Amino acid sequence: MSVPLLEVEGVGRTFRTGGQLRPRRVRAVGGVSLTLDGDRPEILAVIGESGSGKSTLARMILGLLPPAEGTIRFAGAPVAARRGRQERLAFMRRVQPIFQNPFEAFNPLKRVDRYLFATARWLAGAGPDEARSRAERALRQVGLSLAEVGGRFPHELSGGQLQRVAIARALIPGPALLVADEPVSMVDASLRMSIVNLFRTLRDELRVSILYITHDLATAYYISDRIMVMQKGRVVESGPARAVLDEPRHPYTRQLKDAVLQPDPAAAETLEAALAAPPEEEAPVPG
Amino acid sequence: MAAASVAAAQPAPRPGPVLEVRGLRAYYRARHFGVVREVRAVDEVDLAVLPGQIYGLAGESSSGKSTLVKTIAGAVQPPLEIVGGSIRLSFRGGAVETSRAGAGELRALRWKHLSYIMQGSMSVLNPVRRIERTFVDFAARHIGLPPAEFRRLVEAHLQRLRLEPAVLDAYPHQLSGGMRQRVAIALATLCRPELIIADEPTTALDVVVQKRVLALIRAVQRELGSSLLFVTHDLAVHANLCDRLGIMYAGRLVEEGPTAELFRAPRHPYTRHLIASLPRIGDTVPREGLEGAPPNLADPPPGCRFHPRCPLATEVCRQRVPPLAPAGPGRRVACFAALPESLA
Repeated sequence: MSVPLLEVEGVGRTFRTGGQLRPRRVRAVGGVSLTLDGDRPEILAVIGESGSGKSTLARMILGLLPPAEGTIRFAGAPVAARRGRQERLAFMRRVQPIFQNPFEAFNPLKRVDRYLFATARWLAGAGPDEARSRAERALRQVGLSLAEVGGRFPHELSGGQLQRVAIARALIPGPALLVADEPVSMVDASLRMSIVNLFRTLRDELRVSILYITHDLATAYYISDRIMVMQKGRVVESGPARAVLDEPRHPYTRQLKDAVLQPDPAAAETLEAALAAPPEEEAPVPG
Repeated sequence: MAAASVAAAQPAPRPGPVLEVRGLRAYYRARHFGVVREVRAVDEVDLAVLPGQIYGLAGESSSGKSTLVKTIAGAVQPPLEIVGGSIRLSFRGGAVETSRAGAGELRALRWKHLSYIMQGSMSVLNPVRRIERTFVDFAARHIGLPPAEFRRLVEAHLQRLRLEPAVLDAYPHQLSGGMRQRVAIALATLCRPELIIADEPTTALDVVVQKRVLALIRAVQRELGSSLLFVTHDLAVHANLCDRLGIMYAGRLVEEGPTAELFRAPRHPYTRHLIASLPRIGDTVPREGLEGAPPNLADPPPGCRFHPRCPLATEVCRQRVPPLAPAGPGRRVACFAALPESLA
């Protein structure tokens, strides 16, 4: 068996909050382990509510945040041990991020194609002409072209188009892993499915593995091979996507699944059932 | 019951709509050195909300749904202008044309007859005042009770939203997001307004909390008999909540009808696509995305604004604007391809 693409072992991270007077420690992630296969690309969905630690995990895998405990190895080499510019660039060629809000990811004063050219020069070592052709190729892979987006500013594109440009930018160095943190939650409904479908195409045709971080169970079921459910920084359930969501074992997974509103007016009675269920955990109230 | 004695006499069932919007046009107008640039955010919208009804308004970002509810709530400030049409609110003891009402008239209307639930509860809750103060600020003058009785009334009302009386002594930051949004709903419903406008009230909440908050909104709305105009881009929420649903695209209402009917047999190609693309748990076959993007409203395409993305577009769609015309019982659709020849 070859070396796994990504190995996360017992990773944890604690944050300090509350300032000098009343310091508190918040455990954002604790004891998380996962492995992505090196030979067969796959989409792994990480599911959880806000505060479940899924974005902190993503930042640690991207090397943006050092883990306080545990190790993360990418293609056999520890991510935290990268030293110097060369090693950092080599890592960025293989692991690329896609963020939630493309309008925040792009500088509003810069034309979007500049990002594609800069990425081609820095990460793929391309000259000016080659940068153009690489940008064009990456845009074609996401269903766009330089003719459509070349010379345009972010506000001139729709959210869905801009998110595709962000994905094209990530594809330029030929990565093996995309870490996508809520990539469709800011994208309009009519464009959302085309982006979700694009992830499938990338896995099957470009053989890119994708860590798909989301709170949306329906799209996770739809595109992922495996699912990992996180609650309060810990993994509570994981396994093949269909098996986990068809027959959730952990009460939290069941709670998440029950909370999904089915887009079907015939199922509307379930709304009343939500009131019969025990209330959510609530913050303490003084007095 | 304490709560009932305070509100005016129970509203008798009225035949007419609580809210009637006719031919409404609201544009953003910017003038630069004498050149006027217009963004036609709301164009020729007609709709009516009946007493006790939940009317859902769906659409993507920049479809004009938020501009429409802003105009209905009388929150029109430059560069937004009402260019044409009318908005009529009918309530116990009168009716107001909110598109022409003055500031004083609108102030008397707000919270008592027309209230608002926003996406972020913090935009109505003052972070440095206890929740009780906020209730006093908003509602005391409409209700006119001595402080102790007012507090009892508020406590009784909070119970409808499954909130403890202790919430009144808390500051907003001490409550969870779901509790804060329930406080905002309590504020909006305390005076039993005839019309409640809710603009994406659960979008910022986590999935587990969202369902419960929606259930509470509906329970309170049913109990008080208010009408609710509920705006969200999330069709799954509409499917579970609304009696009637209107779909907006690029500033126009393109289809309208009873929610169940609209989901069962959508007539407009845009609605059809939106409903077909909704992912469901259990899906195995790919769902199609819709190519293209909504038009720029500063320069909308001629004819039907959906025609550049429409699989059914013909020559007439490029030239003429389809009217929102009756299409079956209680339904209207603005599409030449979906209507019989005689109307097209």
